Amino acid sequence: MHRYLLYVFLWVTAACGGSQKSEAPADAPKADEKAGPIKIGFINSITGPEAPIGENLTNGALLAVEDLKAAGVTVELVKQDDLGKPQVAMSAMEQLVTGDQVTAILGPYTSANSNAVAKLAQQYKVPQLIPVASKDEITRQGHTYVFRLNAVSTQYARSLIDAALSFGAPKSIAFIYESADFGTSVSTAGKLYAKEKGLAVVADETYQKGAPDYRSTLSKIKAANPDLVFMVSYVADAILIMRQSREVGLSPQAFLGGGAGYETAQFESEKDISTNVFSVTQWTPGMDWPGAAEFAQRYQAKFGKKPTYHAACTYASLMLLGETANKVHGDREKLRDALASQSWKGIVGDVKFENYDGFTQQNRHEMAVIQYQNGVGTVVYPAERAKAKAVYPFPGWK
Amino acid sequence: MQMFFQAAVSGILMGGVYALIGIGLTLIFGVMQVINFAHGDLVMVGMYAAWLLFSHFHVDPFVSILLTGPLLFLLGALLQRGFIQRVLGEAQENQILLTIGLGLLLSNTAMLIFTSDYQLLTTSYSSQAFSVAGVSMSVPLFFAFIVTMLVAFALYVFLMKTDTGAAIRATAQDREAAQLMGINVSRMSVLAFGLGAALAGIAGALIAPTYYIFPQVGHAFTLKSFVIVVLGGMGSVVGASIGGVLIGVVESLAALYLASGLKEAVVFALFLLLLLFRPSGLLGRART
Repeated sequence: MHRYLLYVFLWVTAACGGSQKSEAPADAPKADEKAGPIKIGFINSITGPEAPIGENLTNGALLAVEDLKAAGVTVELVKQDDLGKPQVAMSAMEQLVTGDQVTAILGPYTSANSNAVAKLAQQYKVPQLIPVASKDEITRQGHTYVFRLNAVSTQYARSLIDAALSFGAPKSIAFIYESADFGTSVSTAGKLYAKEKGLAVVADETYQKGAPDYRSTLSKIKAANPDLVFMVSYVADAILIMRQSREVGLSPQAFLGGGAGYETAQFESEKDISTNVFSVTQWTPGMDWPGAAEFAQRYQAKFGKKPTYHAACTYASLMLLGETANKVHGDREKLRDALASQSWKGIVGDVKFENYDGFTQQNRHEMAVIQYQNGVGTVVYPAERAKAKAVYPFPGWK
Repeated sequence: MQMFFQAAVSGILMGGVYALIGIGLTLIFGVMQVINFAHGDLVMVGMYAAWLLFSHFHVDPFVSILLTGPLLFLLGALLQRGFIQRVLGEAQENQILLTIGLGLLLSNTAMLIFTSDYQLLTTSYSSQAFSVAGVSMSVPLFFAFIVTMLVAFALYVFLMKTDTGAAIRATAQDREAAQLMGINVSRMSVLAFGLGAALAGIAGALIAPTYYIFPQVGHAFTLKSFVIVVLGGMGSVVGASIGGVLIGVVESLAALYLASGLKEAVVFALFLLLLLFRPSGLLGRART
């Protein structure tokens, strides 16, 4: 009997620790004038459960490599797959820094992986630019080689709760979130901010992503009768949670979807369950940033789908990283200094890495709150950028 | 109290599907003493089959099990003939490596064909529910449970009342003695593996409308079905049915009374306790 158990454990460890590396430089390195192309390591979730979102990062990076080339900057992107697992991301990092000798690191996608890699970036003194991972802690540890373009998770929660408070007068809030880094950090920030704003936290539920059944958790939340339900999920569990919310008849004043799964095209297309749900996003062409609409068109033409914020933020990150690295001829130290002191304009608005509120080298990025209306995510907050009036309170399930 | 019933009902409905997966695994183990680590991946194949039939030919997943079942039976029979048959009686390590390898082959082939994107099978009733005495039940999951019961019952009748069923049971009890009695044990093995695969495929098709589909989805089910089988007693079909429902209910109640993040931990804690006090499982025979 115990032998079988042993095999199960072996199997689980093998499944968890297995690493597949896919190395495919986007462009064959050309014998350029003096130094050769700028080498940038790109750690991303190319396979594994995060792969559907990881693909957006890859696409954004591909467009950036093209545009950099058109601007006379040849970048060799050395891709590494982290399978969505921190330990794999760390070994990918070691390989990129010591083996491939890259100038800088872009990525990884998830918060857990970015945080693991950030420690190594600091240790090896290699500039790392994080395009989308949002856990606060990553840029709160005083790492001098770690930069982040996107807004931190605190901002997800703040923007959503601010928006809800501007639409109505909710009194209580319930949280349901996936139990990994992204979910817990967004929700922890949300709970603190909710209390600050005088909202009572009436339910606080974590779940393991991938579970097929959230019904008992959702009925527990329903029994607590909250005015707001704040959810943090990845792509597939977001749809499942909304479906099952409808099943158990959970119907608060507003569903607040904390980014990620709640702002995917797939979620948007499930009109039955997405209509009137709020979400917050790092990027949407609806925010009218310079070049954003054009980027959206080109992306659509090239990849046949709408760009997500992951694609846009990765594009913007690689553009500024490539240009800046080229100016300093691929020198890691000079690149770090340049990233810390300069500023850029692009499709995600103005970018400047600043130290504030305990964050270091963190871009103060502006977030958009959207609501799904007639199957389209429409900007409804901040008020000055709103494209439509928010539907509040939630009118109930059909 | 209503919340308790709600959680219990959700758990039982979900557990029914777990049970179906577990029955397939235990059947294979019972007859061949091979643990099929590709079992979850067969569930995945069933899910993709249902999804393909639905999205391209508009066949309802509950109807398409009439196709996915036989299809998976064939796939299982082929796998048994082509691969598993060759390692019967070999060292367990080899058998396990082989089935893990087959599983990886299946999931990576799926990734090659379908990419790693999440696919959703959204039927008109995917998020519908009805209410009985204040307890809401998911329509697709409710039907899935009914079908599960029917399939399990049919299997029970097949195993208990037919000659072939008796032959399969005889092979499971003692392979050599069965062979001496004139039973074609290698044919019974093909049959058992095919049936096990068909059950996994049917389970996959049944949960497809309420879950999401991606190439690695099977891993979670492999592990869960293994727990179910050991819990129920390895090789015991009735044990696997009880084990499946039990795990569904425990998960659901743990999510309600403890924390949803802890439900897996509770399942495994119970599992370990059971192994300590009843190492052969709920209905298992003691093994050496």
